[in-house]
Amino acid sequence: MLDTIRFIISLLLTLGGLFVLLSGVVGIYKFKYSLSRIHAGALFDTVGIVLMMLGVVVGNGINLTSLKMLLIVCILWLTSPVSGHLIGRLEITINDELEKDMMVLDQSMVQHEKEGD
Amino acid sequence: MTEAYSVLYSVTLSILGLFLLACLVRAIIGPRIADRLIAINMMGTLIVIIVCILAFVMNEGGLVDVAITYVMLSFLAVVLLTKIYMGVYHEKRRREEGNTDA
Amino acid sequence: MAKIRNDYEHSWWPRLLQWLEDGSTTLDDELTQEMEESREQHLLPSHEDVAAYEAKLEERRNQQLAAELDMYAHAHRWSKTKGAKIVDWAYRIMSVVICVSIIWVLLQTASYLPPFGSPDNPVNNEVSQRYIEKGMEETGAVNIVAGMILDYRAFDTLGESNVLFIAACSVLILLRVSSDKHDPTSVHQLEVEADDRMYEPKNDIILQHISAFLVPMILIYGVYGVMNGHISPGGGFSGGAIMGAALILYLNAFGFKRTERFFTFKTFQVVSVCALSFYAVSKAYSFFTGANHLPSFITPGNPGDLFSAGLIPYLNIAVGAVVCCTMYAFYTHFRKGDM
Repeated sequence: MLDTIRFIISLLLTLGGLFVLLSGVVGIYKFKYSLSRIHAGALFDTVGIVLMMLGVVVGNGINLTSLKMLLIVCILWLTSPVSGHLIGRLEITINDELEKDMMVLDQSMVQHEKEGD
Repeated sequence: MTEAYSVLYSVTLSILGLFLLACLVRAIIGPRIADRLIAINMMGTLIVIIVCILAFVMNEGGLVDVAITYVMLSFLAVVLLTKIYMGVYHEKRRREEGNTDA
Repeated sequence: MAKIRNDYEHSWWPRLLQWLEDGSTTLDDELTQEMEESREQHLLPSHEDVAAYEAKLEERRNQQLAAELDMYAHAHRWSKTKGAKIVDWAYRIMSVVICVSIIWVLLQTASYLPPFGSPDNPVNNEVSQRYIEKGMEETGAVNIVAGMILDYRAFDTLGESNVLFIAACSVLILLRVSSDKHDPTSVHQLEVEADDRMYEPKNDIILQHISAFLVPMILIYGVYGVMNGHISPGGGFSGGAIMGAALILYLNAFGFKRTERFFTFKTFQVVSVCALSFYAVSKAYSFFTGANHLPSFITPGNPGDLFSAGLIPYLNIAVGAVVCCTMYAFYTHFRKGDM
């Protein structure tokens, strides 16, 4: 009985994780500009991996392997925003025709980035 | 019960493989550098998920160490590549300014 | 082709022919001419005569040079236009032919190998059986692979670490642009500093805060991988690579000046040399004792403990240190040219 409940919870969590990952992959094709696609990429690192890992942990039981998987989630939560920030900064610096793609509110910051030091 | 788990995880693994292929296509197509970097980051996370599921299915605890290493690797790749591309852009700009000045 | 001589008349073959023909030689004519000339000149020639004479000689020399160049102009033109094309084509065809022949020879050699996995290959002999059966009791390592590469075949791993060291030395020789200690404000030094600032546009605050937390964690994980080499998958090479990755992350977040506070070129030298010497000394004494090496005074201990398996944890630490320093050296030399 308990095993069946465990299996159903694991199934639900895994299916939820798969749905989130699917929306991330669809988003990376449908969004129009590359700065918007960062948001689709961030879905993977935050919600998607938590649901999948919880699905595996519930099926596995609590032991050292499960603790390591939760450690992976903590590391990803710490480093994924930094990756997104760095990619966004790169895109602003390199793009020469920024006005066409989006509405720029703070022109001085863009100028500061492009000049470097 | 284990049969049910193995069926579930076989389906999951094949779907995750398809996602991996989709991200790879985006990395090849994407017209800007930022697209490609995002796609590579997503591929790294997908591989981490796949390795953890395999560690559970094959009952091997040592594969999770590999997954931790992969997380660090993809983060380090993004940090280094952005720095390199910004350096390339600034160098090109300086060379062009030097040409128009002189 | 042989060079056409302009004193062809004076070489031995035409003179021989002329002597055979009419009994005279050009040398006779020249001698009589000289004797008559010297009878006429009693005084030394004046300056103008000498100058005129030398001018005449110079003009004759120039004429001869122009004639020679004319003779060879045809050959020079050929080598620049048609000759170059022919040499180019010959080079391309020869390169393709050599590549294809090497590939064919290698494929022929590969076709002589025994079929994959058949039980009577020379590889599947009784040595691997012995390693698997008696590996844990003889070496004390739960991880049989670590026991093999660091105990049964430790000498091969010494060669491998050596190859890593040689690769680092080659990269250093080719790429190192060291600072000039005698003249710190030389133009070259200022250029290198300016390049450094260009290659690191701005140090990001967010990245710095995250790295301040993450770098010690990654280092701890690398040390965990190195120390547990004989219990779980890991070992010196992979743990060392992870430690090198931590150092690279620190360098990217904080810049070269702050990293040089604790890791300079001297640190790299000292760590690499000490680690490799320790490895070499502890395993290379079999040169002197022959194949029967001395019994080890370090007991294998309980399999599964952290300090078991004899010498293997210490060798893992040595290999890990070498790999860490080498990874960092490769990165900084490709990036900046100096440590």
